Amino acid sequence: MSIDTNYAHPDSLVSTAWVAEHINDPSIRIIESNEDVLLYDMGHLPGAVHIDWQRDLQDQLIRDYIQPESFAKLCSNNGILPGTTCVFYGDKSNWWSCYALWVFQLFGHQNVKIMDGGRDKWISEGRPLTREVPRFPASSYPIPSVRRDSEIRAFYDDALAQSRSGRPLIDVRSPGEFKGQVTHMPEYPQEGVLRGGHIPGAQGVPWKQAVNADSTFKSAAELKKIYQDDLGLHPDDAVVAYCRIGERSSHTWFVLNHLLGFKNVRNYDGSWTEWGNRVGAPIEKSL
Amino acid sequence: MSYPPKLSAVIELFAGLSDAEKRETLIAYADQSRLQEPKHGETFDIEDIRKDEECTDTVAVFMRLDEGGGVHFRVTLGPQVQTLTRAMSSILCKGLDGISPNEILEIPADFVPKIVGAELVRLRSQTVYYLLTRMKGVAKVWLSRQRAAGSSQPEGLPS
Repeated sequence: MSIDTNYAHPDSLVSTAWVAEHINDPSIRIIESNEDVLLYDMGHLPGAVHIDWQRDLQDQLIRDYIQPESFAKLCSNNGILPGTTCVFYGDKSNWWSCYALWVFQLFGHQNVKIMDGGRDKWISEGRPLTREVPRFPASSYPIPSVRRDSEIRAFYDDALAQSRSGRPLIDVRSPGEFKGQVTHMPEYPQEGVLRGGHIPGAQGVPWKQAVNADSTFKSAAELKKIYQDDLGLHPDDAVVAYCRIGERSSHTWFVLNHLLGFKNVRNYDGSWTEWGNRVGAPIEKSL
Repeated sequence: MSYPPKLSAVIELFAGLSDAEKRETLIAYADQSRLQEPKHGETFDIEDIRKDEECTDTVAVFMRLDEGGGVHFRVTLGPQVQTLTRAMSSILCKGLDGISPNEILEIPADFVPKIVGAELVRLRSQTVYYLLTRMKGVAKVWLSRQRAAGSSQPEGLPS
């Protein structure tokens, strides 16, 4: 199926067929990012490199992302240059590929795309996987001058200000998590949150509403109905999205920013594992 | 409690491996997970097939006791089950083979990080512990049924 040209930035999304056609294009780097830490080793797209959300993108001592020097090194090790088009895909309906894409944008990497439908769609179409790990000549990715924290990332104080001012806060977790009935995702073990509920004023729009059964993104018209017609958001609104640790909200950030063209969307990556544990953080429940 | 000999052998194998070698070995065990599925014609004393909140897909645990009271497990895993859990299904089916239900209940879970390695024990990979819990649950149910049935245990089974 082709990509809906009515998306605000249709070039942010590519089909599995497009990836198959461009798999040997030297200007493109295909990047797999998964929740399952060994899934890449079990087989991946030919030529795809692996970027691990925790090992490669997060600081190992501070709860934060890597610094610009480490990002430059990561890109250089994978033969990526600032002009390289990075095509991300992965498991879990592309949660972690959106997360990796968001981190790349945090460092100002512009040429990024998501393979619609992710890993499951590629496999369901009978396309090939390999266990051969590609080796690309190291590049010299320049160290980014800034990390765009203030542009596309929200911290606790930003989320609190958003809550107090009544500006849009989107909670993309499951309905049970939003209501405060459970403190973890369905089918997941507890991940260390003391309190259940949501940030006061947040509106619950589970990430899953944005995807079809085959993990592809819904059409532009369907997404507009969900986020603009039904929720009342406008593309010029300053929006903050959050989940538990920032991966599902990266997915929604991609939808709002890349597919619907919202200009001021930030991902609160501290999300509920920070808010739900933080002393003094106000919580709302809707049991 | 010390680990059963077959599981100890696996733990010792992993203890001597580098992180990269551990990763490769786990992949090899994950590849073998389909070999642990029930074979045609096999029958079991307990079958526990379900999908619950601790795992992302259906996990079926089948337990059979031999005449000497030794336990033999078979496991079927749904396609979305994580690779680490697949590897653990192979390790546990082999490592716990032949020990008694009571011994199953006594096995501590602290061997998991020794096998998996610090790099891979992390947020979102905790379901690797899940399979041992399910096997213990099956063993516990079997023991409860035996007690309820008036201790009609197979010969050789520890009391």
